[in-house]
Amino acid sequence: MIDATYAPGSPASAEEAARAPASPFLRALRRLLRKRIAVICLALIALFYCAGIIAPLAAPYGYAEQNLDASFEGPSWAHPLGTDRNGRDVLSRNMFAMRTTVVVTIATVAAGGIVLPVTLGLLAGYAGGAVDWVINRAGEILASLPGLPMLVLISATMRPRFNGWVGDVEDWVGWHGLTSSGFADYFLIFSVLSLFGWVGGMRLIRAQVLTLRGSQYVLAAEAAGASTPRILFRHLLPNVLPLVVVGVSASLGAVAGSEIGLTFLGVGIQPPHPSFGALISDGASRIVLQNHPALLLVPAAIVSSLIFAFNLLGDSITDIITPGAR
Amino acid sequence: MNNRLVLAAGGVAAALIIGLAVILILVIGGGGGSDNGGNAESSGTPSSGKTSSSGSSQDNNSASAGELRVRGADPLFLDPAVAEDADSAVYIVEIFSGLVRLDHDLKVQPDLAQSWDTSPDGMTYTFHLNPKATFQDGRLVTAGDVKYSWERALNPDTGSVTAENFLGDIVGAKDVSRGRATDVSGLKALDDETLQVTIDAPKAYFLYKLTYPTAFVVDQKQIESNPRRWTLKPNGTGPYKLKEWKLGERIVLQAYDNNVLGAPKLKQVTFELSGGSSLVDYQDGNIDVTGVGLDDLESVQDSSNKLNAEYQTSPRQSLDYIGFNTKTAPFDDPKVRQAFALAVDRNKIADVVLKDAVPVANGILMPGVPGYTQEDKTYPYDPERAKQLLSESKYAGNMPEITLAETGAGATVGPTTEAIVQSWKQNLGVEVKIQQADAATFFQDIDQARYQMFHLGWIMDYPDPEDVLDILFHTGSRQNSTQYSNADIDAKLDQARTEQDTEKRLAIYQDVERALVQDAVWIPMFFDTTHALVKPYVKGYDFPPIVIEHYRDVEVDRP
Amino acid sequence: MDGLAAYIVRRLLFLPVALLVVSFATFCITRYGPGDPISVYSGQYRDPEAFDRVRHKYGLDKPVVEQYGIWLKDAVLHGDLGPSFRYRDRTIPEIIGPKIWVSVRLGVYAFILTFLIGIPAGILAAVRQGTWLDPLVIGFFLIFQSIPILVTLPLLVLGLSVKLDLVPPGGFDGIFTRSMIIPTIALGLPGIAGVARLARAVTLGTLHEDFVRTARAKGLDEGTVVVRHVARNSVVPVMTTVIGLSIVGLLEGALFTETILGIPGIGRFIFESVNGRDYNVILAIVLLMTVAFMLANLVVDIVLAVLDPRLRTSGTGAR
Repeated sequence: MIDATYAPGSPASAEEAARAPASPFLRALRRLLRKRIAVICLALIALFYCAGIIAPLAAPYGYAEQNLDASFEGPSWAHPLGTDRNGRDVLSRNMFAMRTTVVVTIATVAAGGIVLPVTLGLLAGYAGGAVDWVINRAGEILASLPGLPMLVLISATMRPRFNGWVGDVEDWVGWHGLTSSGFADYFLIFSVLSLFGWVGGMRLIRAQVLTLRGSQYVLAAEAAGASTPRILFRHLLPNVLPLVVVGVSASLGAVAGSEIGLTFLGVGIQPPHPSFGALISDGASRIVLQNHPALLLVPAAIVSSLIFAFNLLGDSITDIITPGAR
Repeated sequence: MNNRLVLAAGGVAAALIIGLAVILILVIGGGGGSDNGGNAESSGTPSSGKTSSSGSSQDNNSASAGELRVRGADPLFLDPAVAEDADSAVYIVEIFSGLVRLDHDLKVQPDLAQSWDTSPDGMTYTFHLNPKATFQDGRLVTAGDVKYSWERALNPDTGSVTAENFLGDIVGAKDVSRGRATDVSGLKALDDETLQVTIDAPKAYFLYKLTYPTAFVVDQKQIESNPRRWTLKPNGTGPYKLKEWKLGERIVLQAYDNNVLGAPKLKQVTFELSGGSSLVDYQDGNIDVTGVGLDDLESVQDSSNKLNAEYQTSPRQSLDYIGFNTKTAPFDDPKVRQAFALAVDRNKIADVVLKDAVPVANGILMPGVPGYTQEDKTYPYDPERAKQLLSESKYAGNMPEITLAETGAGATVGPTTEAIVQSWKQNLGVEVKIQQADAATFFQDIDQARYQMFHLGWIMDYPDPEDVLDILFHTGSRQNSTQYSNADIDAKLDQARTEQDTEKRLAIYQDVERALVQDAVWIPMFFDTTHALVKPYVKGYDFPPIVIEHYRDVEVDRP
Repeated sequence: MDGLAAYIVRRLLFLPVALLVVSFATFCITRYGPGDPISVYSGQYRDPEAFDRVRHKYGLDKPVVEQYGIWLKDAVLHGDLGPSFRYRDRTIPEIIGPKIWVSVRLGVYAFILTFLIGIPAGILAAVRQGTWLDPLVIGFFLIFQSIPILVTLPLLVLGLSVKLDLVPPGGFDGIFTRSMIIPTIALGLPGIAGVARLARAVTLGTLHEDFVRTARAKGLDEGTVVVRHVARNSVVPVMTTVIGLSIVGLLEGALFTETILGIPGIGRFIFESVNGRDYNVILAIVLLMTVAFMLANLVVDIVLAVLDPRLRTSGTGAR
């Protein structure tokens, strides 16, 4: 998931980062904020994400709230962006869809973009031997599988069971409303996207770890008798994280795009749960597009600018973390 | 640092250019849709650049009189005994045929059999084959061929799931389908031209079942010499031969002039199997007939649209309905079911969501099915009464979670279903969750009675009320997904099966229909209508309400 | 190059192992889900006993592992991938062959477009590095990468087909016909940004090489220098790497494009097969794609390894 078109961090920069005093992150952050474009992108992303998060509170109408008398209306005071065929408010629907995107992107990138690659990469690079071999082979297989077809397949076959399990959990724990919130859908998408996406990141981190293994820093720690977990977390991890950060922004964009595509095809978030994929699919039919273009263009503009912002932000971060790579 | 900004500026510039292009596209005229008059003309003339862009693999420009071009879907495979999907049926009914057929008024007519006698007790039919009946390679059809075809259909090795349904009434048929015998005792080929069929009870609808493809005749010699691949170039008995089948691209049917009912007027039918919008193809003159989707319907129905002159509708014998599982909460209480039926404003939904594309159902039987009446037997829209009934039911104030299941694999639920669910929320205060499942999951769950209620459709296979009222509501019937069990209705259905007097029989079915609708086992929602555009130079194109052969009488007189 | 040969052999040896794992996993996943090809096929008529009889005929009622064993034996010994449960009278290669051919040709078109525009754009950006032209070019194509294909397709159809009457609205009339224009554009545009970036990076690297400076010193016209020396050296590594990495993205894009435009390619067919639970077809397609991806990755890794021996053991590439 980490975009492999970015050149992996060269040893020079890693060592440099290793030598840096405490909170290299704050320093990087400050440098980031000095770039105007990064700020603009961050602001845009923050704006969209906030709109998504507060959707249940701030949206004027519900996602599925329809009014058959108000079908296909243009912008008005009651509906700032108009309504769709069933009289549902376009603004509200987009806000709720944003919420879905927020949830899916954050969860997936956290797991499949950060936790999984880092853990597995550290393990593979440091432990070596059989562990390394297994992780590498598993990664190779997963990376070679055709992602989207597998996703379609898994979604079709696993979804009902998933729903069943979530229902069981719900009964067992007593949390009602779990199934109806679409939790199963989110979980399924998040699982599959993470499962197929950790490989690239893992490889980068592993390469980095291999390089760092022989560095003075680590050898000294080993000689001093530091335990393996300590070495992993205290010495290797901080030097490896910059690599991760580089790819996060672009990954967020890619995941958002994937979820939308999957939902559009019907194997992602199921109705009636909100998603941009659903909104785009509603608006994309020829006649609707001709007569009521806003139904497609509003979600399209939101999604495109969001992904674009992610990409640009990713560029900026790369500039900071790995100077000279571009 | 400045570079970043310019990078973004580049992106924004691109976005603006795209935005401008989009606006231009949308605003500047041209193209179909809600634009009327001029556009349909400009994109309809065959000389527009489009026709030539279709490539050399089609000979659109050389389409001749006597050739019809339509859109089609890939059939799965062309074995009439096994094929169950509607896509394959379209071709199968043209390539193959059986003893009897349905004409355009859905009456039973002779086909390979020129006449038949029924014994006084109604249990033995003697079919006399037409001596001119031949396979498409010229060989004469014999009674032995018919017997072979039916026994093959019933044989478990063939893999047909419908054979028992359509041929199971014949004495001894179930022995073959369950693997206990290889010969159907109730089928006797008295000589080459006479076939005697004995059924287990005097069922009036038996002949209708023989019009279904499962009972069509296949070529024994061909099958035995090429068991795995004969369907690629089948030797049928129908009015059309399969001339060409390029998977995913095109199917061509060519008239078989020695067909027992005479040479078809239409000499060739070409089915395009791939493509984008068929309406645009139609406007470009690449196809001669097209269906009209919901989105395009409004503009086509507009009388100022040039296309409107070519617009035709025709009723279909299919019903869209909401079914309840009468054995699970809360729908085991008829009051709840009735409340739900009263709480949906079907007329409004048909009007707003479906643009009146389909008529609201007034019962379970569809127009054209014997026994259909104009009287509205369904519950009207009455939200007050609905609320009251709900409060009287045993689940008042204690509604369990309710899920409505339907098939679908798309990003969105049909707007109809959403509108229905919204009505229940607004009128009854009940929150119904919609669960979409793909066909495989859905039907398996239906079989296992996992759903509380489901949104489904039913298409008649043959025009007789037994095909819906008995098959779907009789206790113990395998298709009874509502788990409905009513001894009274069962008795009536049994009686109707063997009632010889047609009027009495239909009256019984009408009683049953009324009872079922009142008991709200189903909420009949909408009947179906075919909406199509047919080119003016195509004559005699019919839209039969169910899938039967209908190309032979079409005439194409291309200008 | 003994190390390289050994490396390639090692990678190739792993291929059958991977296929075994993938085939077994897919086999189980397909059969794990609800429904099976028989019951899906049946539409309205639900007759569980009849279904069981047909299932028995196809051996679908045996335990999964046994079914897999049978399949594996047939596949390895006879090259027989099993029957399709939907298209029952054709062999699997017969069914998916033409579809793959359609998708591959479409993919080639898209690639051509991407490179045709991407490489010159990247070179331009590199040569004009430091001016406003550099990031503008990249940024311009970046927006295309950010717009989902789902959006570009309906817009393209509306614009080029409905309004301007230039191309048919979809379908597949033949590989050299105008029906290929919209899908090629939709598939090719998003990739341009990536190609341009790489071309730019590689060009930047090469621009400072000695032979370029020599050529410049000799007084050769800048244009000639760029085109001849720089272009020649940037193109190959860029192309191989990007092709290898992009095949994945192209397939996903193809799935949407084929579905929306009604093109009979392999992307859309996967959908149909999954919905129809055509077990053997699904398995065949997945395996085929896995092999393709693994080989693509291998080629990319080889190219990179040749260029930079340090990377040989770590194996970069893929997503």
